[in-house]
Amino acid sequence: MTNSAFIEVEDLHFSRGGRAIFRGVNLTIPRGRITAIMGPSGTGKTTLLKLIGGQLTPDKGRVLIDGQDVHRLSRKALFALRRRMGMLFQSGALFSDLDVFENVAFPLRVHTDLPDAMIRDIVLLKLQAVGLRGAHALTSAELSGGMARRVALARAVVLDPELILYDEPFVGQDPIAMGVLVQLIKRLSEAMALTSVVVSHDIKETMSIADYLYLIADGEIVAHGTPASLDTHEDPRVSQFMHGEPDGPVPFHYPAPPFYRDILGADPTTTTRTG
Amino acid sequence: MFLRLFSRLVASIVRLGRRGCSVIEALGRASIFVARSVVGVPSGEGLRLWLRQMHFVGVLSLAIVLVSGLFIGMVLALQGYTILIDFGAEQALGQMVSLSLLRELAPVVAALLFAGRAGSALTAEIGLMKATEQLTSMEMIGVDPLRRVVAPRLWAGFVSLPLLTIGFSVVGIWGGYLVGVQWLGVSEGSYWSNMQSSVAFFADVGNGMIKSLVFALVVTWIAVFQGYDLIPTSEGISRATTRTVVYSSLAVLGLDFVLTAVMFGGL
Repeated sequence: MTNSAFIEVEDLHFSRGGRAIFRGVNLTIPRGRITAIMGPSGTGKTTLLKLIGGQLTPDKGRVLIDGQDVHRLSRKALFALRRRMGMLFQSGALFSDLDVFENVAFPLRVHTDLPDAMIRDIVLLKLQAVGLRGAHALTSAELSGGMARRVALARAVVLDPELILYDEPFVGQDPIAMGVLVQLIKRLSEAMALTSVVVSHDIKETMSIADYLYLIADGEIVAHGTPASLDTHEDPRVSQFMHGEPDGPVPFHYPAPPFYRDILGADPTTTTRTG
Repeated sequence: MFLRLFSRLVASIVRLGRRGCSVIEALGRASIFVARSVVGVPSGEGLRLWLRQMHFVGVLSLAIVLVSGLFIGMVLALQGYTILIDFGAEQALGQMVSLSLLRELAPVVAALLFAGRAGSALTAEIGLMKATEQLTSMEMIGVDPLRRVVAPRLWAGFVSLPLLTIGFSVVGIWGGYLVGVQWLGVSEGSYWSNMQSSVAFFADVGNGMIKSLVFALVVTWIAVFQGYDLIPTSEGISRATTRTVVYSSLAVLGLDFVLTAVMFGGL
């Protein structure tokens, strides 16, 4: 069973505000592995996670998690399915009215009838795993960005989920915090045999932990493969992204009328944004 | 020329239709929202959350509501006295102050103050929870934010505004007593006995409380829905907060007219 697909996304179409974000995305996420979904900003990576988590409904296509069609489940069944997943948000999304300990204890308190002493042990164990046992009494306002994300990680794994979704886990982190997070994701995934989906555009960090990569651009999967195979991929869109080249198939300039016309004032009503 | 005018007319009709549809759609969303939320009648853990919200929504609004009630009662007595004395009817001051407060001023003014003090805070709080993805993360943990976040606030507002209204009336009547009896010299006996003989429990106190319950439902509903439904940006939050105060004030005043017409207008 370890190598079978845990998540299958089939022919996914989604548009928002009249703009097509996905035009037929297909992908398979194997059980017990770290799969990364990468792509430039604004390509809808976070939207894809929200579609997988059932917070958004696709226009067409379906998402199967462990054989269940996420968007056909009743609200109750969907919430039951979500108990088997954890999600790490970009901002951490800690509850601002609870301290660190209670944030991590929250899923246990609402989903289990465990006695307080046991909840305490589990929470401290998870906080120890992310290195923040000493911070259990702090409020979420007292945490740095990196710490908040680690607390959120502890909260995401406190119910021992089978699947964990990471939304841009490395964004805005200093090098030390980044290193800590990379190591934590890898270690947790191995120790708990988790299926992990990492959405990110931080190439180096993501490549170092992912078993398999999908690259999204223009609403489609443009490439997929192991980190090594993508690194030497020949598609110019892939190599531009993988090697961080400023200009290429994804243009440096936002679409604009010809430069001389703007500058020489041929058409003063036209406004442009460049860069 | 004519064609252009015609196409403009068509465009504005289309716009009107679209606006109408979006209003009805929002009403539908708001109804589903409140129906899903009120099912979460506080129990167990919910009771603790509800009590906490009762503190934020009710207890913390107590000061502004009571102080306003005191001043309004005092002003009523002062204004009423100067008019009634011309007719030699200053003994009826207690009746005037108490009926104005119980039937009209206490439910309406308390609801307006409540919309400004607690309603806007509810919108901003829920909106900020949405903007910082707290609501989404709660959903992902498998907890329905409608039950966990919205229901306790809805119930707290629904229960606390009528209680605040009672407080408003009591303090207002006492303020009227301070000015009318202690300061202007109306006889204490006539102030209280006129009040006692003219105020009917069900017709006056009861109808006032019904008004207050209706206002409580409307104001809290508008506040939590605006918070839950807003666009999660700083501009979206500020707009929603303003909308809460404007919509709930208008709703309170409009409904007050309807309710008054039904209760006291012989409709």
